[in-house]
Amino acid sequence: MPPSVAPWWRRRLPPPLFAWLLVVPVLAFFAIWNIVPLLWMIGLSFYRYILTFGVNPVYVGLQNFSQILQDYNVWAHIGLTVLFVIGAVGVETLLGVLLGFAFWGQTTLPGRRLALTLLFSPMVLAPVAVGTFFRLIYDPMYGILPYYIHQFFGVPAPNLLGNGSTAFLSVLATDVWMWTPFMILMTIAALGAVPRAMLEASAVDRLSIPRRLRYVIWPHAKFILVLGVLLRTIDAFKTFGLVSAMTAGGPGNATQLISLTLYREAFDSFSMGSASALALFALFIAIAFTSIYLFVLNYQKREVAAE
Amino acid sequence: MRPKLKTRLQQGFLWLVAVAFFLPVLWIFLAAFKTAGQILAVPPSWIFRPTLQGLTYMASHQAFWTHALNSVVISLSAVVLAIIVSFVAAYSFSRFRLRGTDFMMFVLLSIRMVPGAAVVVPMYLMYTALGWINTYPGIILFYTMFSIPFSVWILKGFIDGVSPRFDEAAQSDGASRLHVMFRIVLPQVLPGIVAAFIFNTIFVWNEFLFDFIIGGNQVATIPVALASGLYTSQGIDWQYIASLTFVYTLPLMVVIYFFQKYLLVGMTFGTVRGEV
Repeated sequence: MPPSVAPWWRRRLPPPLFAWLLVVPVLAFFAIWNIVPLLWMIGLSFYRYILTFGVNPVYVGLQNFSQILQDYNVWAHIGLTVLFVIGAVGVETLLGVLLGFAFWGQTTLPGRRLALTLLFSPMVLAPVAVGTFFRLIYDPMYGILPYYIHQFFGVPAPNLLGNGSTAFLSVLATDVWMWTPFMILMTIAALGAVPRAMLEASAVDRLSIPRRLRYVIWPHAKFILVLGVLLRTIDAFKTFGLVSAMTAGGPGNATQLISLTLYREAFDSFSMGSASALALFALFIAIAFTSIYLFVLNYQKREVAAE
Repeated sequence: MRPKLKTRLQQGFLWLVAVAFFLPVLWIFLAAFKTAGQILAVPPSWIFRPTLQGLTYMASHQAFWTHALNSVVISLSAVVLAIIVSFVAAYSFSRFRLRGTDFMMFVLLSIRMVPGAAVVVPMYLMYTALGWINTYPGIILFYTMFSIPFSVWILKGFIDGVSPRFDEAAQSDGASRLHVMFRIVLPQVLPGIVAAFIFNTIFVWNEFLFDFIIGGNQVATIPVALASGLYTSQGIDWQYIASLTFVYTLPLMVVIYFFQKYLLVGMTFGTVRGEV
Protein backbone atom coordinates (compact mmCIF):
# COMPACT_ATOMS: atom_id res chain seq x y z
CA MET A 1 0.00 0.00 0.00
CA PRO A 2 1.45 3.35 -0.97
CA PRO A 3 1.81 5.94 1.80
CA SER A 4 -1.56 7.52 2.33
CA VAL A 5 -1.96 10.74 0.44
CA ALA A 6 -4.60 13.20 1.54
CA PRO A 7 -7.37 13.68 -0.98
CA TRP A 8 -6.84 16.72 -3.21
CA TRP A 9 -9.20 18.95 -1.31
CA ARG A 10 -7.37 18.31 1.96
CA ARG A 11 -3.95 18.96 0.49
CA ARG A 12 -2.39 22.35 1.13
CA LEU A 13 -2.01 24.52 -1.89
CA PRO A 14 1.43 26.00 -2.32
CA PRO A 15 1.36 29.47 -0.73
CA PRO A 16 1.69 31.59 -3.91
CA LEU A 17 -1.17 29.77 -5.58
CA PHE A 18 -3.35 30.15 -2.50
CA ALA A 19 -2.47 33.82 -2.26
CA TRP A 20 -3.39 34.43 -5.89
CA LEU A 21 -6.61 32.51 -5.50
CA LEU A 22 -7.70 34.88 -2.75
CA VAL A 23 -7.11 37.89 -4.97
CA VAL A 24 -8.92 36.47 -8.00
CA PRO A 25 -12.43 37.78 -7.15
CA VAL A 26 -11.20 41.33 -6.66
CA LEU A 27 -9.12 41.09 -9.82
CA ALA A 28 -12.13 39.82 -11.73
CA PHE A 29 -14.23 42.78 -10.57
CA PHE A 30 -11.36 45.06 -11.38
CA ALA A 31 -10.95 43.66 -14.89
CA ILE A 32 -14.63 43.80 -15.82
CA TRP A 33 -15.55 47.13 -14.24
CA ASN A 34 -12.31 49.02 -14.73
CA ILE A 35 -9.97 47.59 -17.35
CA VAL A 36 -12.68 46.97 -19.95
CA PRO A 37 -14.28 50.42 -19.62
CA LEU A 38 -10.85 52.04 -19.54
CA LEU A 39 -9.77 50.37 -22.77
CA TRP A 40 -13.14 51.21 -24.25
CA MET A 41 -12.67 54.82 -23.27
CA ILE A 42 -9.13 55.02 -24.65
CA GLY A 43 -10.29 53.47 -27.90
CA LEU A 44 -13.29 55.75 -28.25
CA SER A 45 -11.24 58.86 -27.64
CA PHE A 46 -9.80 58.40 -31.15
CA TYR A 47 -13.21 58.24 -32.77
CA ARG A 48 -16.02 60.58 -33.57
CA TYR A 49 -19.09 58.88 -32.22
CA ILE A 50 -22.37 60.73 -31.78
CA LEU A 51 -24.73 58.29 -30.13
CA THR A 52 -27.96 59.78 -31.50
CA PHE A 53 -26.87 59.91 -35.16
CA GLY A 54 -27.02 56.17 -35.59
CA VAL A 55 -23.75 56.34 -37.52
CA ASN A 56 -20.86 54.02 -36.75
CA PRO A 57 -17.84 55.55 -35.03
CA VAL A 58 -15.44 57.30 -37.40
CA TYR A 59 -11.72 57.16 -36.72
CA VAL A 60 -10.42 60.72 -36.35
CA GLY A 61 -7.02 60.17 -34.75
CA LEU A 62 -6.07 62.80 -32.22
CA GLN A 63 -8.72 65.26 -33.35
CA ASN A 64 -10.75 64.96 -30.14
CA PHE A 65 -7.72 65.84 -28.05
CA SER A 66 -6.66 68.76 -30.22
CA GLN A 67 -10.23 70.02 -30.17
CA ILE A 68 -10.31 69.96 -26.37
CA LEU A 69 -6.98 71.73 -26.12
CA GLN A 70 -8.26 74.46 -28.41
CA ASP A 71 -11.74 74.71 -26.96
CA TYR A 72 -12.02 77.95 -25.09
CA ASN A 73 -15.06 76.71 -23.15
CA VAL A 74 -13.32 73.65 -21.80
CA TRP A 75 -10.46 75.76 -20.49
CA ALA A 76 -12.91 78.22 -19.00
CA HIS A 77 -14.65 75.37 -17.15
CA ILE A 78 -11.34 73.96 -15.97
CA GLY A 79 -10.42 77.43 -14.73
CA LEU A 80 -13.74 77.71 -12.94
CA THR A 81 -13.19 74.29 -11.35
CA VAL A 82 -9.72 75.29 -10.16
CA LEU A 83 -11.18 78.48 -8.71
CA PHE A 84 -13.90 76.46 -7.01
CA VAL A 85 -11.44 73.94 -5.58
CA ILE A 86 -9.05 76.60 -4.29
CA GLY A 87 -11.86 78.69 -2.82
CA ALA A 88 -13.73 75.81 -1.22
CA VAL A 89 -10.72 73.92 0.13
CA GLY A 90 -9.07 77.16 1.30
CA VAL A 91 -12.04 78.37 3.30
CA GLU A 92 -12.83 74.89 4.61
CA THR A 93 -9.26 74.39 5.80
CA LEU A 94 -9.09 77.77 7.49
CA LEU A 95 -12.45 77.38 9.23
CA GLY A 96 -11.88 73.71 9.96
CA VAL A 97 -8.51 74.27 11.62
CA LEU A 98 -9.78 77.18 13.72
CA LEU A 99 -12.85 75.28 14.90
CA GLY A 100 -10.84 72.07 15.24
CA PHE A 101 -8.62 73.78 17.79
CA ALA A 102 -11.73 74.78 19.74
CA PHE A 103 -12.88 71.14 19.84
CA TRP A 104 -9.42 69.85 20.74
CA GLY A 105 -9.35 67.88 23.96
CA GLN A 106 -12.96 68.74 24.81
CA THR A 107 -13.73 65.23 25.98
CA THR A 108 -15.91 66.38 28.86
CA LEU A 109 -18.31 68.44 26.75
CA PRO A 110 -21.81 67.57 27.97
CA GLY A 111 -23.63 65.65 25.25
CA ARG A 112 -20.45 65.48 23.19
CA ARG A 113 -21.63 62.60 21.06
CA LEU A 114 -24.82 64.34 20.09
CA ALA A 115 -23.01 67.61 19.45
CA LEU A 116 -20.53 65.88 17.15
CA THR A 117 -23.35 64.06 15.36
CA LEU A 118 -25.02 67.40 14.66
CA LEU A 119 -21.70 68.92 13.63
CA PHE A 120 -20.82 66.10 11.25
CA SER A 121 -24.32 65.68 9.83
CA PRO A 122 -23.77 67.84 6.70
CA MET A 123 -21.06 65.60 5.27
CA VAL A 124 -23.08 62.39 5.31
CA LEU A 125 -26.01 63.93 3.47
CA ALA A 126 -26.50 63.02 -0.18
CA PRO A 127 -25.12 65.92 -2.25
CA VAL A 128 -28.15 65.62 -4.51
CA ALA A 129 -30.51 66.05 -1.57
CA VAL A 130 -28.51 69.02 -0.31
CA GLY A 131 -28.44 70.63 -3.75
CA THR A 132 -32.16 70.16 -4.25
CA PHE A 133 -33.10 71.60 -0.90
CA PHE A 134 -30.68 74.51 -1.02
CA ARG A 135 -32.47 75.60 -4.16
CA LEU A 136 -35.41 76.30 -1.89
CA ILE A 137 -33.25 77.88 0.81
CA TYR A 138 -31.78 80.30 -1.77
CA ASP A 139 -35.08 80.87 -3.61
CA PRO A 140 -35.65 84.63 -4.10
CA MET A 141 -39.40 84.38 -3.37
CA TYR A 142 -39.72 81.73 -0.69
CA GLY A 143 -36.15 81.13 0.43
CA ILE A 144 -35.20 81.56 4.07
CA LEU A 145 -31.76 82.99 3.32
CA PRO A 146 -32.85 85.92 1.11
CA TYR A 147 -35.53 86.66 3.69
CA TYR A 148 -33.04 87.01 6.55
CA ILE A 149 -30.58 88.92 4.36
CA HIS A 150 -33.37 91.38 3.71
CA GLN A 151 -34.18 91.56 7.42
CA PHE A 152 -30.61 92.15 8.56
CA PHE A 153 -29.30 94.43 5.85
CA GLY A 154 -32.52 96.19 4.96
CA VAL A 155 -31.97 95.67 1.25
CA PRO A 156 -33.58 92.93 -0.81
CA ALA A 157 -31.13 90.12 -1.53
CA PRO A 158 -30.20 89.58 -5.17
CA ASN A 159 -31.51 86.47 -6.86
CA LEU A 160 -28.71 84.34 -5.49
CA LEU A 161 -28.84 81.43 -7.91
CA GLY A 162 -30.05 83.62 -10.79
CA ASN A 163 -26.91 85.73 -11.19
CA GLY A 164 -23.65 84.32 -12.44
CA SER A 165 -21.36 85.67 -9.71
CA THR A 166 -23.69 85.10 -6.77
CA ALA A 167 -24.60 81.63 -8.05
CA PHE A 168 -20.95 80.61 -8.01
CA LEU A 169 -20.50 81.97 -4.49
CA SER A 170 -23.73 80.33 -3.34
CA VAL A 171 -22.60 76.93 -4.56
CA LEU A 172 -19.20 77.55 -2.97
CA ALA A 173 -20.82 78.52 0.33
CA THR A 174 -22.92 75.35 0.29
CA ASP A 175 -19.83 73.26 -0.29
CA VAL A 176 -18.10 75.06 2.57
CA TRP A 177 -21.03 74.32 4.84
CA MET A 178 -21.02 70.64 3.82
CA TRP A 179 -17.31 70.00 4.12
CA THR A 180 -15.93 72.28 6.84
CA PRO A 181 -16.94 69.58 9.37
CA PHE A 182 -14.62 67.20 7.51
CA MET A 183 -11.69 69.55 8.06
CA ILE A 184 -12.71 69.93 11.71
CA LEU A 185 -12.63 66.14 11.96
CA MET A 186 -9.18 65.99 10.37
CA THR A 187 -7.90 68.77 12.62
CA ILE A 188 -9.12 66.99 15.75
CA ALA A 189 -7.40 63.82 14.50
CA ALA A 190 -4.22 65.71 13.63
CA LEU A 191 -4.07 67.36 17.05
CA GLY A 192 -4.71 63.97 18.63
CA ALA A 193 -1.41 62.82 17.09
CA VAL A 194 0.55 65.29 19.23
CA PRO A 195 2.01 63.45 22.23
CA ARG A 196 0.48 64.67 25.46
CA ALA A 197 3.79 64.55 27.29
CA MET A 198 5.35 67.02 24.89
CA LEU A 199 2.42 69.40 25.30
CA GLU A 200 2.71 69.23 29.07
CA ALA A 201 6.45 69.77 28.87
CA SER A 202 5.98 72.81 26.68
CA ALA A 203 3.44 74.17 29.15
CA VAL A 204 5.85 73.65 32.03
CA ASP A 205 8.58 75.38 30.03
CA ARG A 206 6.19 78.26 29.33
CA LEU A 207 6.82 78.11 25.62
CA SER A 208 4.95 80.93 23.86
CA ILE A 209 1.85 79.90 21.89
CA PRO A 210 3.36 80.56 18.43
CA ARG A 211 6.43 78.55 19.36
CA ARG A 212 4.29 75.75 20.69
CA LEU A 213 2.44 75.69 17.38
CA ARG A 214 5.64 75.77 15.38
CA TYR A 215 7.84 73.33 17.31
CA VAL A 216 5.48 71.05 19.22
CA ILE A 217 2.17 70.83 17.42
CA TRP A 218 3.00 71.30 13.75
CA PRO A 219 5.63 68.53 13.42
CA HIS A 220 3.13 65.96 14.69
CA ALA A 221 -0.08 67.34 13.23
CA LYS A 222 1.08 68.23 9.74
CA PHE A 223 0.65 64.86 8.05
CA ILE A 224 -2.97 64.20 8.89
CA LEU A 225 -3.75 67.82 8.09
CA VAL A 226 -2.06 67.60 4.68
CA LEU A 227 -3.86 64.32 3.99
CA GLY A 228 -7.13 66.05 4.83
CA VAL A 229 -6.43 68.92 2.47
CA LEU A 230 -5.46 66.52 -0.32
CA LEU A 231 -8.55 64.36 0.13
CA ARG A 232 -10.73 67.45 0.15
CA THR A 233 -9.00 68.71 -3.02
CA ILE A 234 -9.63 65.45 -4.84
CA ASP A 235 -13.22 65.45 -3.67
CA ALA A 236 -13.90 69.09 -4.56
CA PHE A 237 -12.49 68.43 -8.01
CA LYS A 238 -15.12 65.68 -8.40
CA THR A 239 -18.07 67.83 -7.24
CA PHE A 240 -21.06 66.83 -9.31
CA GLY A 241 -24.27 65.98 -7.48
CA LEU A 242 -24.37 69.22 -5.52
CA VAL A 243 -24.01 71.53 -8.53
CA SER A 244 -26.12 69.46 -10.86
CA ALA A 245 -29.02 69.53 -8.42
CA MET A 246 -28.54 73.17 -7.41
CA THR A 247 -27.86 75.03 -10.64
CA ALA A 248 -27.20 72.41 -13.34
CA GLY A 249 -24.16 74.52 -14.28
CA GLY A 250 -26.16 77.70 -14.83
CA PRO A 251 -27.04 80.45 -15.06
CA GLY A 252 -25.23 80.53 -18.37
CA ASN A 253 -22.07 78.63 -17.55
CA ALA A 254 -21.41 80.35 -14.24
CA THR A 255 -21.24 77.14 -12.20
CA GLN A 256 -20.22 74.75 -14.95
CA LEU A 257 -17.60 72.65 -13.20
CA ILE A 258 -15.56 70.25 -15.29
CA SER A 259 -17.47 67.15 -14.16
CA LEU A 260 -20.65 68.79 -15.42
CA THR A 261 -19.01 69.59 -18.75
CA LEU A 262 -18.03 65.96 -19.03
CA TYR A 263 -21.52 64.82 -18.21
CA ARG A 264 -23.13 67.20 -20.70
CA GLU A 265 -20.72 66.32 -23.47
CA ALA A 266 -21.72 62.68 -23.06
CA PHE A 267 -25.39 62.85 -22.19
CA ASP A 268 -26.62 66.15 -23.67
CA SER A 269 -24.56 66.20 -26.86
CA PHE A 270 -24.18 62.39 -26.89
CA SER A 271 -20.72 62.99 -28.24
CA MET A 272 -19.04 59.93 -26.76
CA GLY A 273 -15.69 60.31 -28.50
CA SER A 274 -14.83 63.75 -27.22
CA ALA A 275 -16.36 62.96 -23.83
CA SER A 276 -13.97 60.01 -23.59
CA ALA A 277 -11.02 62.21 -24.50
CA LEU A 278 -12.01 64.69 -21.81
CA ALA A 279 -12.52 61.86 -19.33
CA LEU A 280 -8.95 60.72 -19.95
CA PHE A 281 -7.70 64.13 -18.83
CA ALA A 282 -9.77 63.85 -15.66
CA LEU A 283 -8.33 60.38 -15.11
CA PHE A 284 -4.75 61.66 -15.31
CA ILE A 285 -5.48 64.45 -12.87
CA ALA A 286 -7.01 61.96 -10.41
CA ILE A 287 -4.02 59.61 -10.71
CA ALA A 288 -1.63 62.51 -10.15
CA PHE A 289 -3.44 63.55 -6.99
CA THR A 290 -3.62 59.98 -5.70
CA SER A 291 0.13 59.64 -6.20
CA ILE A 292 0.75 62.78 -4.17
CA TYR A 293 -1.63 61.52 -1.49
CA LEU A 294 0.07 58.14 -1.19
CA PHE A 295 3.49 59.77 -1.24
CA VAL A 296 2.55 61.84 1.80
CA LEU A 297 0.94 58.82 3.46
CA ASN A 298 4.02 56.61 3.00
CA TYR A 299 6.33 59.44 4.02
CA GLN A 300 4.39 59.73 7.25
CA LYS A 301 4.55 55.97 7.85
CA ARG A 302 8.31 55.98 7.35
CA GLU A 303 8.72 58.93 9.68
CA VAL A 304 6.55 57.30 12.36
CA ALA A 305 8.49 54.05 11.99
CA ALA A 306 11.79 55.93 12.31
CA GLU A 307 10.78 57.52 15.60
CA MET B 1 -15.00 80.12 40.07
CA ARG B 2 -13.43 81.85 37.07
CA PRO B 3 -11.99 78.82 35.28
CA LYS B 4 -15.34 77.12 35.57
CA LEU B 5 -17.10 80.01 33.87
CA LYS B 6 -14.49 79.97 31.13
CA THR B 7 -15.08 76.25 30.55
CA ARG B 8 -18.81 76.82 30.46
CA LEU B 9 -18.42 79.56 27.88
CA GLN B 10 -16.19 77.42 25.73
CA GLN B 11 -18.58 74.50 25.92
CA GLY B 12 -21.45 76.78 25.04
CA PHE B 13 -19.50 78.00 22.03
CA LEU B 14 -18.85 74.45 20.83
CA TRP B 15 -22.52 73.59 21.07
CA LEU B 16 -23.33 76.76 19.18
CA VAL B 17 -20.97 75.71 16.36
CA ALA B 18 -22.49 72.24 16.23
CA VAL B 19 -26.04 73.57 16.11
CA ALA B 20 -25.08 76.16 13.48
CA PHE B 21 -23.87 73.44 11.15
CA PHE B 22 -26.99 71.44 11.84
CA LEU B 23 -29.36 74.34 11.19
CA PRO B 24 -29.90 73.80 7.43
CA VAL B 25 -30.50 70.10 8.07
CA LEU B 26 -32.97 71.01 10.80
CA TRP B 27 -34.73 73.30 8.34
CA ILE B 28 -35.15 70.36 5.94
CA PHE B 29 -36.36 68.12 8.75
CA LEU B 30 -38.89 70.69 9.95
CA ALA B 31 -40.22 71.03 6.42
CA ALA B 32 -41.14 67.35 6.47
CA PHE B 33 -43.71 68.17 9.16
CA LYS B 34 -45.19 71.21 7.47
CA THR B 35 -47.99 71.69 5.01
CA ALA B 36 -47.01 72.77 1.51
CA GLY B 37 -48.10 76.30 2.37
CA GLN B 38 -46.01 76.45 5.54
CA ILE B 39 -42.88 75.31 3.67
CA LEU B 40 -43.12 78.29 1.34
CA ALA B 41 -44.36 80.70 4.02
CA VAL B 42 -42.82 84.18 4.17
CA PRO B 43 -41.65 85.02 6.81
CA PRO B 44 -40.26 81.52 7.50
CA SER B 45 -42.20 79.70 10.20
CA TRP B 46 -40.02 78.08 12.85
CA ILE B 47 -42.85 77.37 15.22
CA PHE B 48 -45.90 75.65 13.80
CA ARG B 49 -48.30 72.84 14.47
CA PRO B 50 -46.57 69.76 13.03
CA THR B 51 -48.52 67.66 10.58
CA LEU B 52 -47.92 64.17 9.26
CA GLN B 53 -49.67 65.07 6.03
CA GLY B 54 -46.42 65.09 4.01
CA LEU B 55 -45.19 61.78 5.34
CA THR B 56 -48.50 59.96 4.93
CA TYR B 57 -48.87 61.40 1.46
CA MET B 58 -45.41 60.08 0.62
CA ALA B 59 -46.16 56.67 2.12
CA SER B 60 -49.26 56.40 -0.04
CA HIS B 61 -47.10 56.60 -3.17
CA GLN B 62 -46.19 53.25 -4.63
CA ALA B 63 -43.08 54.87 -6.18
CA PHE B 64 -41.73 55.81 -2.76
CA TRP B 65 -41.73 52.21 -1.57
CA THR B 66 -40.05 51.07 -4.78
CA HIS B 67 -37.31 53.66 -4.43
CA ALA B 68 -36.79 53.00 -0.73
CA LEU B 69 -36.65 49.24 -1.22
CA ASN B 70 -34.21 49.67 -4.09
CA SER B 71 -31.99 51.90 -1.96
CA VAL B 72 -31.87 49.34 0.84
CA VAL B 73 -31.51 46.22 -1.28
CA ILE B 74 -28.92 47.63 -3.67
CA SER B 75 -26.68 49.24 -1.06
CA LEU B 76 -26.76 46.33 1.39
CA SER B 77 -26.20 43.54 -1.12
CA ALA B 78 -23.43 45.42 -2.95
CA VAL B 79 -21.59 46.23 0.27
CA VAL B 80 -21.86 42.72 1.73
CA LEU B 81 -20.53 41.21 -1.48
CA ALA B 82 -17.74 43.79 -1.63
CA ILE B 83 -16.66 43.09 1.93
CA ILE B 84 -16.47 39.34 1.36
CA VAL B 85 -14.25 39.56 -1.70
CA SER B 86 -12.24 42.43 -0.18
CA PHE B 87 -11.55 40.57 3.04
CA VAL B 88 -9.94 37.57 1.34
CA ALA B 89 -7.97 39.83 -1.01
CA ALA B 90 -6.85 42.07 1.84
CA TYR B 91 -5.73 38.98 3.77
CA SER B 92 -3.65 37.91 0.81
CA PHE B 93 -2.21 41.41 0.30
CA SER B 94 -1.33 41.65 3.96
CA ARG B 95 0.12 38.18 4.56
CA PHE B 96 1.65 37.03 1.29
CA ARG B 97 2.80 40.37 -0.14
CA LEU B 98 2.56 39.15 -3.70
CA ARG B 99 4.46 41.07 -6.32
CA GLY B 100 2.48 44.11 -7.33
CA THR B 101 0.62 44.44 -4.03
CA ASP B 102 1.62 48.07 -3.57
CA PHE B 103 0.77 48.86 -7.16
CA MET B 104 -2.62 47.20 -6.81
CA MET B 105 -3.35 49.19 -3.66
CA PHE B 106 -2.41 52.37 -5.51
CA VAL B 107 -4.60 51.53 -8.49
CA LEU B 108 -7.54 50.69 -6.24
CA LEU B 109 -7.30 54.02 -4.48
CA SER B 110 -6.91 55.87 -7.78
CA ILE B 111 -10.07 54.50 -9.32
CA ARG B 112 -12.01 55.75 -6.33
CA MET B 113 -10.54 59.22 -6.86
CA VAL B 114 -11.57 59.58 -10.51
CA PRO B 115 -14.59 61.86 -11.03
CA GLY B 116 -17.70 59.76 -11.52
CA ALA B 117 -18.64 61.74 -14.60
CA ALA B 118 -15.46 60.49 -16.29
CA VAL B 119 -16.11 56.83 -15.52
CA VAL B 120 -19.77 56.84 -16.33
CA VAL B 121 -19.31 57.31 -20.10
CA PRO B 122 -17.53 54.02 -20.91
CA MET B 123 -19.58 52.30 -18.21
CA TYR B 124 -22.76 53.40 -19.95
CA LEU B 125 -21.53 52.15 -23.33
CA MET B 126 -20.43 48.84 -21.85
CA TYR B 127 -23.71 48.35 -20.01
CA THR B 128 -25.69 49.18 -23.16
CA ALA B 129 -23.66 46.77 -25.24
CA LEU B 130 -24.07 43.96 -22.70
CA GLY B 131 -27.71 44.74 -21.99
CA TRP B 132 -27.08 45.29 -18.29
CA ILE B 133 -28.81 48.67 -18.11
CA ASN B 134 -31.68 48.76 -15.61
CA THR B 135 -31.02 45.31 -14.14
CA TYR B 136 -30.44 44.48 -10.49
CA PRO B 137 -27.32 42.36 -11.04
CA GLY B 138 -25.88 45.11 -13.23
CA ILE B 139 -26.32 47.88 -10.72
CA ILE B 140 -25.47 45.76 -7.66
CA LEU B 141 -22.24 44.45 -9.16
CA PHE B 142 -21.27 47.96 -10.20
CA TYR B 143 -21.72 49.21 -6.66
CA THR B 144 -19.76 46.19 -5.43
CA MET B 145 -16.81 47.40 -7.47
CA PHE B 146 -17.52 50.89 -6.19
CA SER B 147 -17.14 49.61 -2.60
CA ILE B 148 -14.14 47.32 -3.10
CA PRO B 149 -11.28 49.88 -3.05
CA PHE B 150 -12.24 51.36 0.29
CA SER B 151 -12.95 47.92 1.79
CA VAL B 152 -9.59 46.53 0.70
CA TRP B 153 -7.75 49.58 2.04
CA ILE B 154 -9.45 49.55 5.41
CA LEU B 155 -9.29 45.76 5.89
CA LYS B 156 -5.65 45.52 4.86
CA GLY B 157 -4.86 48.18 7.45
CA PHE B 158 -6.63 46.22 10.15
CA ILE B 159 -5.17 42.84 9.13
CA ASP B 160 -1.67 44.38 9.11
CA GLY B 161 -2.34 45.17 12.76
CA VAL B 162 -2.91 41.49 13.62
CA SER B 163 0.41 39.79 14.25
CA PRO B 164 1.23 36.92 11.85
CA ARG B 165 2.25 34.94 14.94
CA PHE B 166 -1.43 34.17 15.45
CA ASP B 167 -1.48 32.57 11.99
CA GLU B 168 1.70 30.62 12.65
CA ALA B 169 0.57 29.40 16.05
CA ALA B 170 -2.77 28.22 14.69
CA GLN B 171 -1.17 26.57 11.68
CA SER B 172 1.33 24.67 13.81
CA ASP B 173 -1.65 23.45 15.80
CA GLY B 174 -2.94 21.98 12.57
CA ALA B 175 -5.51 24.56 11.59
CA SER B 176 -6.26 24.90 7.90
CA ARG B 177 -5.57 28.16 6.07
CA LEU B 178 -9.26 28.93 5.81
CA HIS B 179 -9.65 28.29 9.52
CA VAL B 180 -6.83 30.76 10.22
CA MET B 181 -8.36 33.33 7.94
CA PHE B 182 -11.95 33.17 9.11
CA ARG B 183 -11.67 31.93 12.69
CA ILE B 184 -8.41 33.49 13.89
CA VAL B 185 -7.95 36.71 11.90
CA LEU B 186 -11.52 37.67 11.07
CA PRO B 187 -12.73 38.06 14.69
CA GLN B 188 -9.81 40.36 15.40
CA VAL B 189 -10.60 42.73 12.54
CA LEU B 190 -14.34 42.97 13.20
CA PRO B 191 -14.09 46.73 13.87
CA GLY B 192 -12.62 47.12 10.40
CA ILE B 193 -15.45 45.10 8.88
CA VAL B 194 -18.01 47.20 10.72
CA ALA B 195 -16.37 50.45 9.61
CA ALA B 196 -16.12 49.27 5.99
CA PHE B 197 -19.71 48.13 6.07
CA ILE B 198 -21.07 51.37 7.49
CA PHE B 199 -19.17 53.79 5.32
CA ASN B 200 -19.54 51.91 2.08
CA THR B 201 -23.25 51.69 2.76
CA ILE B 202 -23.36 55.45 3.28
CA PHE B 203 -21.43 56.07 0.05
CA VAL B 204 -23.61 53.77 -2.03
CA TRP B 205 -26.75 55.05 -0.28
CA ASN B 206 -25.84 58.60 -1.34
CA GLU B 207 -24.58 57.81 -4.83
CA PHE B 208 -26.77 59.10 -7.59
CA LEU B 209 -24.96 59.53 -10.90
CA PHE B 210 -24.39 55.88 -11.76
CA ASP B 211 -27.80 54.71 -10.74
CA PHE B 212 -29.21 57.54 -12.83
CA ILE B 213 -27.22 56.63 -15.96
CA ILE B 214 -26.75 52.86 -15.89
CA GLY B 215 -29.89 52.18 -13.87
CA GLY B 216 -33.43 52.93 -14.87
CA ASN B 217 -36.99 52.93 -13.61
CA GLN B 218 -36.79 49.46 -12.19
CA VAL B 219 -33.69 50.03 -10.05
CA ALA B 220 -34.05 53.77 -9.28
CA THR B 221 -33.01 54.69 -5.75
CA ILE B 222 -34.11 57.63 -3.60
CA PRO B 223 -31.32 60.03 -4.71
CA VAL B 224 -32.35 59.43 -8.32
CA ALA B 225 -35.95 60.15 -7.38
CA LEU B 226 -34.80 63.38 -5.73
CA ALA B 227 -32.64 64.45 -8.65
CA SER B 228 -35.00 63.64 -11.45
CA GLY B 229 -37.36 66.09 -9.81
CA LEU B 230 -40.77 65.58 -8.32
CA TYR B 231 -43.10 67.95 -10.04
CA THR B 232 -46.79 68.48 -9.60
CA SER B 233 -48.97 70.66 -11.77
CA GLN B 234 -48.14 73.58 -9.45
CA GLY B 235 -44.38 73.18 -9.78
CA ILE B 236 -41.88 71.38 -7.60
CA ASP B 237 -43.45 69.26 -4.90
CA TRP B 238 -41.41 70.54 -1.94
CA GLN B 239 -43.49 68.66 0.60
CA TYR B 240 -42.65 65.36 -1.03
CA ILE B 241 -38.97 66.31 -1.38
CA ALA B 242 -38.76 67.35 2.27
CA SER B 243 -40.42 64.17 3.53
CA LEU B 244 -38.23 62.05 1.28
CA THR B 245 -35.04 63.81 2.40
CA PHE B 246 -36.06 63.45 6.04
CA VAL B 247 -36.78 59.72 5.84
CA TYR B 248 -33.67 59.21 3.79
CA THR B 249 -31.27 61.21 6.00
CA LEU B 250 -32.44 60.20 9.47
CA PRO B 251 -30.87 56.70 9.32
CA LEU B 252 -27.52 58.27 8.43
CA MET B 253 -27.65 60.52 11.47
CA VAL B 254 -28.52 57.59 13.73
CA VAL B 255 -25.60 55.64 12.26
CA ILE B 256 -23.04 58.38 12.85
CA TYR B 257 -24.36 58.82 16.37
CA PHE B 258 -23.73 55.18 17.24
CA PHE B 259 -20.60 54.58 15.18
CA GLN B 260 -18.88 57.90 15.67
CA LYS B 261 -15.52 56.33 16.39
CA TYR B 262 -15.31 54.97 12.86
CA LEU B 263 -16.00 58.34 11.27
CA LEU B 264 -12.35 59.26 10.77
CA VAL B 265 -11.27 55.98 9.22
CA GLY B 266 -14.45 56.00 7.15
CA MET B 267 -14.11 59.46 5.70
CA THR B 268 -10.46 58.95 4.76
CA PHE B 269 -11.01 55.67 2.88
CA GLY B 270 -9.24 53.72 5.56
CA THR B 271 -5.96 55.57 5.16
CA VAL B 272 -6.00 57.44 8.48
CA ARG B 273 -6.65 55.52 11.68
CA GLY B 274 -7.77 57.06 14.91
CA GLU B 275 -10.75 58.16 16.91
CA VAL B 276 -12.44 61.49 17.37
